[in-house]
Amino acid sequence: MEEEKETTTTTTTKKKQCFWTWALASVIFRLVLIHFSRNLNLASRPEVSTPLTSLRRLAEGYWLKQSSISPYAGSMYHGSPLLLSILGPLTVQRGEGQYNHLICSLLFVIADFMTAVLIRATGQSLQMAYNQSLKSLGIVRLLERSEMLSSGDIAALVYLWNPLTIVTCVGSSTSPIENLFVVLSLYGACRRLVPLAAFGWVIATHLSLYPAILIVPLILILGYGPDSPRRKLFQQRASSKVGENPSTDIRYQQKELASQPMLPFRFSWRLVVHFILWASLWSCYVLLLCGISVRRYGGLGEMFKSTYGFILTVPDLSPNIGVLWYFFAEVFDYFRNFFLIVFHVNILFMILPLAIRLNHRPCFLAFVYIAISSLLKSYPSVGDSALYLGLLGLFVKELADMQFSFFLFCGYVGISFLSPVMHNLWIWRGTGNANFYFATAMAYACFQIILVVESVSAMLNHDRMLRKLSIMKP
Amino acid sequence: MAESETPKTRPRPLVRLGIFLISHSLLVSVVCCTAGVLALLLLPVLAKNTYISENALMPGSANAMLSSEDISEAHRFMNDLTGLNLKTGETGIESSRLIARYMSDLGADVNYHKFHPQPNQFRPLHFFSNSDSRIIQENICCSSHGVNTVGIIRAPRGDGKEAIVLVTPYNSHKIDLAEALSLAIAYSVFSLLTRVTWLAKDIIWLAADSKYGEYASVSAWLRDYQTPVFGDFEKPYSEICCESNARHGLKESEITERKISDVFRRAGTMAAALVIKVSDGNKQADGTLSIYAEASNGQMPNLDLINIVNNLAVHRQGLQVKVEKLLSLLDSKWLRILGEVFESVGNIARSLNPQWKFGIPAADYMEGAATLASSLYYQALGVPTGSHGAFRDYQVDAITLEISPKVALNNKIRQTEFLQRGGRLIEGVIRSVNNLLEKFHQSFFLYLLTSPSKFVSVGVYMIAFALLVAPLPIVAASLYSDANKWDSSLKKHDPTSSPKSADDEHRNILRSWKWLYAAKQVFIIHSWGVLVSLLPYLICQMPNWMSKVLTWLILGSPIIDADASQSQKREWAILKSVTISAAFIGLCLMSVINFATAEIGALLLVPMCLLAHPLRLDVRAHSLKAFTRAGCNLVLGFIGFPPAAFFVLKGSFEGFESVNISDFWNWIESLWAWNSATYLYIE
Repeated sequence: MEEEKETTTTTTTKKKQCFWTWALASVIFRLVLIHFSRNLNLASRPEVSTPLTSLRRLAEGYWLKQSSISPYAGSMYHGSPLLLSILGPLTVQRGEGQYNHLICSLLFVIADFMTAVLIRATGQSLQMAYNQSLKSLGIVRLLERSEMLSSGDIAALVYLWNPLTIVTCVGSSTSPIENLFVVLSLYGACRRLVPLAAFGWVIATHLSLYPAILIVPLILILGYGPDSPRRKLFQQRASSKVGENPSTDIRYQQKELASQPMLPFRFSWRLVVHFILWASLWSCYVLLLCGISVRRYGGLGEMFKSTYGFILTVPDLSPNIGVLWYFFAEVFDYFRNFFLIVFHVNILFMILPLAIRLNHRPCFLAFVYIAISSLLKSYPSVGDSALYLGLLGLFVKELADMQFSFFLFCGYVGISFLSPVMHNLWIWRGTGNANFYFATAMAYACFQIILVVESVSAMLNHDRMLRKLSIMKP
Repeated sequence: MAESETPKTRPRPLVRLGIFLISHSLLVSVVCCTAGVLALLLLPVLAKNTYISENALMPGSANAMLSSEDISEAHRFMNDLTGLNLKTGETGIESSRLIARYMSDLGADVNYHKFHPQPNQFRPLHFFSNSDSRIIQENICCSSHGVNTVGIIRAPRGDGKEAIVLVTPYNSHKIDLAEALSLAIAYSVFSLLTRVTWLAKDIIWLAADSKYGEYASVSAWLRDYQTPVFGDFEKPYSEICCESNARHGLKESEITERKISDVFRRAGTMAAALVIKVSDGNKQADGTLSIYAEASNGQMPNLDLINIVNNLAVHRQGLQVKVEKLLSLLDSKWLRILGEVFESVGNIARSLNPQWKFGIPAADYMEGAATLASSLYYQALGVPTGSHGAFRDYQVDAITLEISPKVALNNKIRQTEFLQRGGRLIEGVIRSVNNLLEKFHQSFFLYLLTSPSKFVSVGVYMIAFALLVAPLPIVAASLYSDANKWDSSLKKHDPTSSPKSADDEHRNILRSWKWLYAAKQVFIIHSWGVLVSLLPYLICQMPNWMSKVLTWLILGSPIIDADASQSQKREWAILKSVTISAAFIGLCLMSVINFATAEIGALLLVPMCLLAHPLRLDVRAHSLKAFTRAGCNLVLGFIGFPPAAFFVLKGSFEGFESVNISDFWNWIESLWAWNSATYLYIE
């Protein structure tokens, strides 16, 4: 291993350089676009900014707060009060033009960049775990693939160069920050930094509620360690090894055992308990801060009502790329509560089966959860898709045999062009109607579903292949 | 892996159908293409009669109230206008003042609207930005402004929230008889409408100064109407022109007009707009009414508006209604033969079952086809056919009515009769629109006219388009799956040579992501296409020498790129499939935006995409079939290229002519055309 490393150091440094140049190029590209952001007018696109993430609404909320009115008055702002006190001063238009505006955009660029770096680090730790588990299974042959660009780099570059991410970043919505905290929690869990993971999870949940379901994969990561083949395989292999060559010297076996010191057999309760403790600590802290900042404006109750309540009861039916707005615009009022419950429970229903099936791959599980929640969210934006598409890059090797990848790619490209066009037909030209736009939203949802289904089945196929290989080659 | 398992487990019927289609892609694509072309030719046969779908309109339910008094008033007005023309040389302000005086005598709110003809520039990002930030030009010289005269009648029954617009373009320097007649028609209706009690919507009469073109004046007025300026923005503008204002003010005070002002007056949102024109009557001397409806980018007004006009003109006023035709098609032989074939087929069908009313006479077919062709042509061009086009940008339905009189209008009696007819028609239309409770929304927005009373709706013509485009995804899928199969068969052969297997597997692993490289290449070429098509815009903004260097760089770069990337056959197949799917996405997008452009583009692009094949491989193959195919490719490439270049040129001219969304999309379309053409050239 060491020798190999030495021989490939030159190539790895080259790859590193390659990565950093591309990452910097993406940052520069963003800065150039931000310079023209006034002309692009992305902030008013329904695909980019939702009622929850729109920076314009945040500015409104800040203005209300400055004039000592509750920031939630008038149903304009629905985000966190903490975000208000951090980003709020940057949204104020001073006399001297757009200096603050630029700082704000710069903040989003930095958030994107940090997200990419964290994804890369997560990818590296995932890859290490993957390599280790393959080695312990004795399937070294598959490792030769790792000569290519590592999956972390790919994922980070996919995240940085994804047009959806760029659009979200330039279109000044707060979703880059939400994404940052989601990735932060995953990173913390993969690196076993319990306080960091808890912090990321608490803040992400506080900002947009849906990451709350990530607690399942986070606990699984902390308990079992990052993604690996099925645990049964290791047991089989160990038992077969023991059964097969009892005559070989014990020294060898011991060495092998030493080389795989932390085989994820046991569930480490210690870290999980730590995580829960830290999470409760952080959430108390966040609630305290929020309480202080909204003390004069109706307290925490008001905050919960107009942030989480706003997410859960879907009162804003302005069009977006999700499917809920159309449905709740059509549904009769007395069925509304019922369907609200149905839609939200839909996400919750998915949690348990997926957690059971994919419990050996918690990071992938987190990806699936994020994709599903961005599909069934009440106010989805392309920023959510940007996040899960970036995370998809982490599993490039496992998903290499994924079907319909080209079809999905075409679908995403087509939808991302079609959606603004349909919106234009409906709103500006008046020749179309809401059904036109909703059709693209439905198609988008279908593509997301296909993506999730195909990626999960590819992952399961990959597991099957590993099992076959490990049985074939003892 | 899935492929090896398919024989064992029979796939579901839908999947089987898909596999069947993909495996017979050649046949399917040929059948689909011919069916698409045939369906396009069948469209005149499939056209339905128009009907008025909004019940509230009730056209012709009331008798015309336009009396001879109004007509004689209008006649006096007309005489004054033409007399003014004779008296003084410089009538620029005089005529507008005369119109304003007449308007205010009727009790309308009158104001002048000064505008400067905007130097049109092409803004490619206009579509996405939607920014209404107006560029305030620095060097406005006061001498070059036009003056629109706007009169508004406040409706006695309305709340001032809605309005109907009458537009009469006239040249303020020299008013000829036709223009005076159109003004007189508008005046007669206007004078009637000041007295009627049923008016529920305000009436705006815009006498548009067409010194700088009809479209410019109307769009300038609309822009000022729709985007109110707040604060200090108006000050410099008025200061510059204060000199002329003062002069105006002096003269107006003489007449002591209380209601005439330079303050911009508004009524409510516009329900509909009618542009009234009178043609000189030289060309086709019969009492006809021509309707022009195409707005920018192939948008059409609501079909109900055309229906009312058609209904009233035919049944009430006895005018013959026409829409634009491609006259050259009327003489073409093949169309006649085709029409006869359709007619005979229809006859046969009727003889089999009298219920089937399928065929139409060959002459009708030819008329319909010519109208359809011109309708397609103007929609595809994306340039509005008149000043009504400016309204559509603000979601106001508008059409131009061009009335041509039966005989030369020198006689006073003839003029009176003509005024009465035209006035009653306009009155009827206004009365119908006045009944409207909501915006026009009932009838179609997406349609093609085959005659004034026949139309093809979106549901029908999309079938033709879908048939035409259907081969693209199928061929793309078959190419893609073939390439994959080739790969997997290669894998099966290889295990004999064991040392290679690791490398092979390494290649095989990323098999399903192999298209990424092709996608990259296509993306590069397309972005190059975007760059090329944006060049005129960029050149305007950059110093000259720099742009020249850039142009050469940009035009030169892809050729190098393409040479390097020429490689195996399999990669070619994937590349082609990616290209085809990109073209498919583009065409589908385009069909939503502007059907006609997409249809024409598809007619050009689909055969090109399907036949495209690398020349180098053909030459290497040395067989007759390959040679014919190569020849075919070359010919198609040459056919495809000049129209593409033409498209681009046209697009650029349009772009400079009128600043609107349409041109950008035209550009995109031409870009598609051009891209694939470059593909053929490169390969």
